[in-house]
Amino acid sequence: MLGDVKGREQGWICPIAFRRRVCRRQIAALDISNQKEIVSAHRGGINSLNVDLTEGRYLLAGASDGSAAVYDIQCSTESEGGGRIGKHKSLFVVDKQHAHGHKFSVSSVSWYPVDTGLFITGSFDHRIKVWDTNAVKAVMDFNMPGKVYRAAMSSVATTHMLIAAGTEDVQVRLCDIASGAFTHTLSGHRDGIMAVEWSSSSDWILMTGGCDGAVRFWDIRRAGCFLVLDQSCSQLGSRPPLSGAPSNERETFPRASDSTDGKINHHLGTKKLPNYQKGRTFKGMGTTQRLHPGLTSSRNKSTAHYGAVTALRATKDGMHLLSTGSDSRLKLWDIESGCNTLVNFEASRLQTSRPLEMAVAEDSSLVFVPCATTVKAFDMWSGTTSRTFRGHLESVNCCFFNAQHQELYSGSNDRQIVVWAPTNRTDSAEDQEAARGLEEHDADQDHWSD
Amino acid sequence: MMADSSGLAGRKRFRDGEDEPAEENSDGTLSLGDSLTFCDTVMALRMMRAQFPKTNKVSVEPFILRSQLYSCIKNRTQVDRDLEALKKEKTLRLFKLNTGQDDHAIMFMDDYNKQIGAAAERLGKKGPDQVQVLEWFKLYVLGTKLDLSIEHNELVSFSLIFQSLSELFDVSYIYNASYVNQCSLLSAGGKVRDEHVSLLVNAGFLTRQLVDPDMYWFSIPNVGSVLKGLSQGRKEVMGMLKRRAHGEMMMGVMEKKRLRFSPLDMRFHLRDLIGSGHLHTAQTPLGLVVRLAKD
Repeated sequence: MLGDVKGREQGWICPIAFRRRVCRRQIAALDISNQKEIVSAHRGGINSLNVDLTEGRYLLAGASDGSAAVYDIQCSTESEGGGRIGKHKSLFVVDKQHAHGHKFSVSSVSWYPVDTGLFITGSFDHRIKVWDTNAVKAVMDFNMPGKVYRAAMSSVATTHMLIAAGTEDVQVRLCDIASGAFTHTLSGHRDGIMAVEWSSSSDWILMTGGCDGAVRFWDIRRAGCFLVLDQSCSQLGSRPPLSGAPSNERETFPRASDSTDGKINHHLGTKKLPNYQKGRTFKGMGTTQRLHPGLTSSRNKSTAHYGAVTALRATKDGMHLLSTGSDSRLKLWDIESGCNTLVNFEASRLQTSRPLEMAVAEDSSLVFVPCATTVKAFDMWSGTTSRTFRGHLESVNCCFFNAQHQELYSGSNDRQIVVWAPTNRTDSAEDQEAARGLEEHDADQDHWSD
Repeated sequence: MMADSSGLAGRKRFRDGEDEPAEENSDGTLSLGDSLTFCDTVMALRMMRAQFPKTNKVSVEPFILRSQLYSCIKNRTQVDRDLEALKKEKTLRLFKLNTGQDDHAIMFMDDYNKQIGAAAERLGKKGPDQVQVLEWFKLYVLGTKLDLSIEHNELVSFSLIFQSLSELFDVSYIYNASYVNQCSLLSAGGKVRDEHVSLLVNAGFLTRQLVDPDMYWFSIPNVGSVLKGLSQGRKEVMGMLKRRAHGEMMMGVMEKKRLRFSPLDMRFHLRDLIGSGHLHTAQTPLGLVVRLAKD
């Protein structure tokens, strides 16, 4: 550490590299924090965690008892143990007793990306509410056709303020905060949608994962999705090979061409049949129905997982996407080519029936996934388990990585939110001194020599 | 008894100098403890293929489960990528099994062709046009579609291409008069192709899974009884360990036990369960011990 500081001082380590080294060292030292403790105000399992983007100071949590609470994770509300352990109580809670509170479990919470003046909660009572943080009142209420699994807003968008909602229903709905109405719906999935993630590089691209196992990419300015991830389409390596078109790895054998009237064409063998292209699918043979070009993707039945897709997370650079499924697999996809990079993560005990929330470290080196009662950190490019964080008593539902402080927060069914922070050896030496100091102050204690 | 190389001589990556194992059991086979780690996917596959039980109860050519590969080779990403490359070279074929989540079987192409040959003999007794269908399937569909599954529409389009190509090049001398009848039926549409597909399903080459009406999965014919043995054997092995006081047993002791419900041997099941994460191994002063995974 001192060597790095000296290097930075003398100028042969540039600022970005210095920050990266410090962050990597901090992440490698993550463990249960002995300085911060969050006093959970919830009486049900924590389903969703979110920290605001602007300051990284406020943690928003949603739980199964219908409560959502905000905690200040930088300044503690009270402290214990002679000032060494800071307890963070909730700043406010909105629960079933609140006038506008949700009636059933809150499944997804999210801060408004621009500032902390608003936050959004989605719940199993079929509603998405937008709350004013300072007045603690719900200012907008969207009614959904089914249980809301996930409500997300884009963190990079400057042109729109849309909430993408994934529910039990097969359509993805986009709700507009500015007007208070639904703008449009995206159809294509064949079952409910458990995971919704906005792209981290584009205002307009949305990725959804459904209970049918498909992951679809939508451009919200157009109808229909432009890419459906197929697990059998794979590339060897984290980026597509430079030589040749991606068609090297895809089927070029002739398929049923999209004949205009959809009828059987006898002279199929004589025509030059097209190569397989991204997003294009073949129309059903023998059907005489014409489909709108935006809806042809609904015929594409490729799946990304053999079960439901339970979580999606994109890396910050917008190049890769991680998805977990109820087949207990975690897959890494290259967004540009839409191929499975075949990195095998040793995740064996993922929750299969509920949506999860994963976290990715800022420099895309580690991915944190809740596995049964632990949170596991996998190395992103090789798939090996780098750390296992054990501390919860019941299964963990969500985790969030705070890049500002290199802290990991995890919420589980045991109603607790645990903070995993970088621990330093110097801290423990100070702890011992302070402990000894405390003992001396206690006059009733016997003074035994050690 | 090391690999019988009859089916393996034509392998592209055939190596001459294989490292001989250090110890062998009294019957000449390697103990599981010694053969638990490998450095190369192909070597591991060949080794496990050689160890596949060849009894009368097992009517299927040797296949290897994906979880068994994971138990042998540490770097799973490398295994996945190697399998993908081998699949594209058409050295192997992968099949998705219906015995639980994400079970895949790997079979060498030679073994699969032998299996097709055996099935063709059985079908040949019913009529020559049945064998035709099988030949078409083997040549066109298997030859080009390297994935695990095929959609109904694609299968149908393959059959059309077959028909139209043969129309173009006039290879009718190969086929008998029934072909002409089939052609005329084709213009009526639909019936002929369904019969072909149902023939393939009955023979066991295609199967349906996951309640998806439009998707056919490739499968190994006559593998049903073996798969049943696989699931029952897994339960038996897990049960054996659960009954123990601490959920662990020495590897040497375990290997020698016989399974009542499964025709596949203990080594097969142990590898599979270790690779899928249900069991862990650990070195102890007494030797290798097998434990139930707790988390």
